[in-house]
Amino acid sequence: MKKVHAVTACIIVLFVILLSFVLTSLNMAPETEEVRTLGKFFLENSYFGDYSAMSPEVVTSILWDYRGLDTIYETSVFFLAIISSLALFRLGNTIESEKHSEDSGPGLSFIVKGIVKLVSVMIIAVSASIALHGHLTPGGGFQGGSALAVVPLLVIVAFSKFALEDLGFTKDRAMVVRSLSLVGIALVALFPLLYGAYIMQNQPIFPARIGGQLTSGSLILYNIFEYFAVGAGFTAVFLLLATPEKIFKKLLGVKKE
Amino acid sequence: MIFLHLIVLAISAVLGLVFAYFAIVEEDLLKAVIYSAGQAVAYAIAFYILMAPDVLLAYIAIAVGIYTALLIFVISKTERREVIS
Repeated sequence: MKKVHAVTACIIVLFVILLSFVLTSLNMAPETEEVRTLGKFFLENSYFGDYSAMSPEVVTSILWDYRGLDTIYETSVFFLAIISSLALFRLGNTIESEKHSEDSGPGLSFIVKGIVKLVSVMIIAVSASIALHGHLTPGGGFQGGSALAVVPLLVIVAFSKFALEDLGFTKDRAMVVRSLSLVGIALVALFPLLYGAYIMQNQPIFPARIGGQLTSGSLILYNIFEYFAVGAGFTAVFLLLATPEKIFKKLLGVKKE
Repeated sequence: MIFLHLIVLAISAVLGLVFAYFAIVEEDLLKAVIYSAGQAVAYAIAFYILMAPDVLLAYIAIAVGIYTALLIFVISKTERREVIS
């Protein structure tokens, strides 16, 4: 690390501290105890009020109920991003069939592999709990799904891409899971139309409780579908990105240096 | 109690800034990615202090795990050191 960078970093830190000191002493952002009107509406309505989403988690009820269409569009943007990256890194069918490259190394040491085995199970449990409790505690489908996507990543790094594919988690299967989940989200969004309600309406179309457990109607369904959609989408991209460079070079016809 | 929270918030925000600066100026791209992950951890603490656990849960998985790994994949397809002409 060069000395000039350390000095610059120190100057930045001093500047920020000075700036925050000046702003605080000028009282530019006075403390307030009041909740704004919009926030008050959501806090009062998400579980109790007349426009209830039957969820004590205000963020999830805004994401999938009050402002549900925003999240639908966000999901479609994510879908397009995954599709376009799959299109960028696509491989011909002939190349893809000759999966096992001859000299794929043994992977990392057995310590790393053992730890990854243990941690993977824990991450799956935590991510499932984040997604399934999304309507009760902070978290939700996207958060749980992105935590789930760390598992294939760890397996690819510690073992190899081919280890994951031997277990049956191929790119095509991930895309099937992803597509089915997106169809699920669309069906749940369109379902209220059958009852003459609005698109993405939650209450009272969907049951708020199942067997005495609070499920918050459609929120838990959206969270589960989004969980699988995000997890499978990221897995597909990682599998393609982890394809050895040699296979790409063979596809593009690059000669050995 | 709010005082302690604000102190932790200030420290993590400044730490994130320093990490971001080093991520920009570092010529070894692999180290730059690690600095970027450090910045993400600092900002994750800031999100927690600002009472945004929903954002935190997505941010920590994406910014520390997925984003870092994606960049490492990309670096493995090119050269490790940034060449400044």
